[in-house]
Amino acid sequence: MSKITGLSRRSFLTNTAGTMLVGLGMPTAAWAAQARRGGTLVASWGGLEPQALFVPGGGGSSPFQTSTKILERLLKIDSQLSFQPVLATEVNASADFKTYTIKLRQGVNWHDGKPFTSADVVYNVQEHWKPISAGIALKALQTVEAPDAYTVKLIFSKPVPEFFLKSVLAGQYQLVVPRHLYAGRDLITNPLNNAPVGTGPWKYGQWVRGSHVEYKRNEQYWNRGEPYLDKLIVRWWGDPASRAAALETGELGLAYSNPVPARDVARLLKTGKVVADTKGYENSAWTVTAEFNQRREIVKRREVRQAILHAIDRKFIVDTIYFGRGKPAVSPIFRSNPIFFTDDVPKYPFDPKKAEALLDAAGLPRKNGSRFTINLLAAAWFEENAKLGQYLKQALEDVGIAVRLDSVDRATALKRIYGDYDYDIAVSNFTAPLELVPVVTQFFTSDGIVKGAAFRNATGYSNPAMDALVEKLSIETNPELRKKLAHEFARLASTDVPIVPLVEIESFTLAGTKVRDFSTGANVQGESLNDVWLAQ
Amino acid sequence: MVARLLLRRLLQAVPLVLGVVVLNFVLIQLVPGSFLDVMTAEQQVTDPALIERLRVTYGMDKPVWQQLLHYIGAVAHLDLGYSYRHNLPVFDVIAAHLPATLILMLSSIAIAVLVGVTAGIVAAVKVNTWWDTLVSVAAVVCFAAPSFWLGIMLIVLFSVRLGWFPVGGMTTIGADLGPLGTALDILRHLVLPAVTLGLFYAATYARVMRASMLEVHRNDFVRTAYAKGLTRARVIVGHMVGNAILPVVTLLGLQIGALLGGSIVVEAVFSWPGIGGVLFDGVMSRNYPVVLGMLLLCSVFVVVANVVVDILYTRLDPRMAKEIR
Repeated sequence: MSKITGLSRRSFLTNTAGTMLVGLGMPTAAWAAQARRGGTLVASWGGLEPQALFVPGGGGSSPFQTSTKILERLLKIDSQLSFQPVLATEVNASADFKTYTIKLRQGVNWHDGKPFTSADVVYNVQEHWKPISAGIALKALQTVEAPDAYTVKLIFSKPVPEFFLKSVLAGQYQLVVPRHLYAGRDLITNPLNNAPVGTGPWKYGQWVRGSHVEYKRNEQYWNRGEPYLDKLIVRWWGDPASRAAALETGELGLAYSNPVPARDVARLLKTGKVVADTKGYENSAWTVTAEFNQRREIVKRREVRQAILHAIDRKFIVDTIYFGRGKPAVSPIFRSNPIFFTDDVPKYPFDPKKAEALLDAAGLPRKNGSRFTINLLAAAWFEENAKLGQYLKQALEDVGIAVRLDSVDRATALKRIYGDYDYDIAVSNFTAPLELVPVVTQFFTSDGIVKGAAFRNATGYSNPAMDALVEKLSIETNPELRKKLAHEFARLASTDVPIVPLVEIESFTLAGTKVRDFSTGANVQGESLNDVWLAQ
Repeated sequence: MVARLLLRRLLQAVPLVLGVVVLNFVLIQLVPGSFLDVMTAEQQVTDPALIERLRVTYGMDKPVWQQLLHYIGAVAHLDLGYSYRHNLPVFDVIAAHLPATLILMLSSIAIAVLVGVTAGIVAAVKVNTWWDTLVSVAAVVCFAAPSFWLGIMLIVLFSVRLGWFPVGGMTTIGADLGPLGTALDILRHLVLPAVTLGLFYAATYARVMRASMLEVHRNDFVRTAYAKGLTRARVIVGHMVGNAILPVVTLLGLQIGALLGGSIVVEAVFSWPGIGGVLFDGVMSRNYPVVLGMLLLCSVFVVVANVVVDILYTRLDPRMAKEIR
């Protein structure tokens, strides 16, 4: 049994305030000053307007950023990657790790004045998280009980690792909505999703469709004194070039998740009006992947996949497509994952001669200059993916593989990759979080094959050894043994290579020089921005 | 006479709009990917039963012809469907964004007509002088420059360097300015996007107006007007412009639909909260109800604009009125 790391949010901020602008060569200012109250901050990012301010199933990054200003989770992960209390003050496991007791924060009120209690959490577990937002992560959950107004018990059918459960509770989709406003109504279509009522530092103000959403300070916020700003505006700014201009003129104070093309960052920094930061993205890595369809005769052969990987120069991809803002990926476990990462995995350094030799050995020699033809599908929801598709075409043609390249838009890519399985190799993306189960593992397990479900096992890879390994990983409660299992998982995934993260893309935030403490958590999109303040 | 013209045009518009609805519906069905693909991806839906339930909920389990008939029936009752992405009826989505687009469109048309017609007249009156050359070069530049590039250039110059106008948006967010202040604030935000969109069309109108003025200038009635002793200014304003502007009016009617489409790019560059962004998002997410609603709106716009042009014709050219009679 253990308590959540007992560092308060305020003391954590004080400790980290002076080391903010690292990673992009920015000077570290003496910013450990007293937070100042007042002012309005306009924030944006590179994405579209959300379909609703809160989407129970998640809905992607847009509603995640708009909902997390109003609604809160039980826990959060800070930039030191330790769990911090939010609506829960303690999460304790039983000796057999089948029961978790959650102590809730007292004195918290919903924005309409009603008290937050264990009944709200029970409702969310039963009606929101288990059936909708958490998916298979809470598959083993049997019952949820509320012994008193501020205690909740989760009872599982099998042991659940503590880190896993805390990751679920701190996960981006496990927001807590008010039972008294949602019970008895359809969660997904509830009109309240367009004007949420939560416990967070910000109250819903107004949503001007096509323009922005306005948040007002919650004067009754449980963390007294916060938030510091009077008003927070989240604005959609569709065009990256004008977004950059808005940062330069000060119309935009904060923009996160790579809001402008990497090539514009240096120019913006030179103006002296904007600072950059790579902090705030510690709990996951955004990767670009190559997925090999196991239903296709040629690429279902492991030796062919391994040969193809030797033909790809990942450093070239980082340097030319991502302007140096990324790192070649090592395995499905991202490099800076301090808990599970291992470098001890099979690697495929760029070596076209070796690639050719392996293809020859596989009985696929060049005939009239070409060995075979593959269909390469680039999901061009990011322009970099389309460029990567073009690079892969050239790289593979260099080793005698003819390539038919299709760069397609979002909806077509989703249908062809995850619905129709209509590709040999696909260029796609996935986010690798700290905890491997289920987000990362479901790309490799047989139960991850769900026709039509995106960002799952679309390759059709099925290996009983992998399934058994992930099953063990799901129930192993000893952290050290779990780490070893994770390393085994990384090695097997890197040997079979059905889906291969090629590059871990560096994420960055840009902000005006007066904006302080804008990336103190491990996932800036999901931060409530309760601690952001504006210097004079 | 106008009533008869209106009636005739409206009767013609019914099969036209119906044809557009059917064509749009069929074309959208041919595009790969559906909003269900995007929706299940965004909502991380993995349960096959839930995916099937959503298919039934949104009527996608039915044959396409049944979906089409259902859609036509709904449109006939002014029901444009429901946008799952906005959690709102399509009608409400369009109503929320249309005013911004109309403001931008009307301002752009005003700029295009005013600048284009004036420049065309000047070029024709000063034909083969440096004024003529200046108008021709400016028209070519404005016509050739992509609107996203022109928009960004205007932002760099007038927003970033000079600080005269805001980079984007329609109002200063969070400012409490009162009715007059708000109107002026919108006007300030409107200048750059309206100029960006308007200049492209102004270039076309300038070229057409110049050519038309030169052609009219060769007519007998112009010579007669001069012979009667009228001043050059009175001949140009009183006799030539009214006759020469007819092709511009025709073009204007034809370009209304294109103007609506062109606003997509400009709205994106200037974060203008109009229907352009909604249409773009609708296409990308295969939000069929919204896309179909928008396309229907464009069709109705074109039909209405052409009826207005026809009516204008009868006012500007008495021969047309006679023909209609």
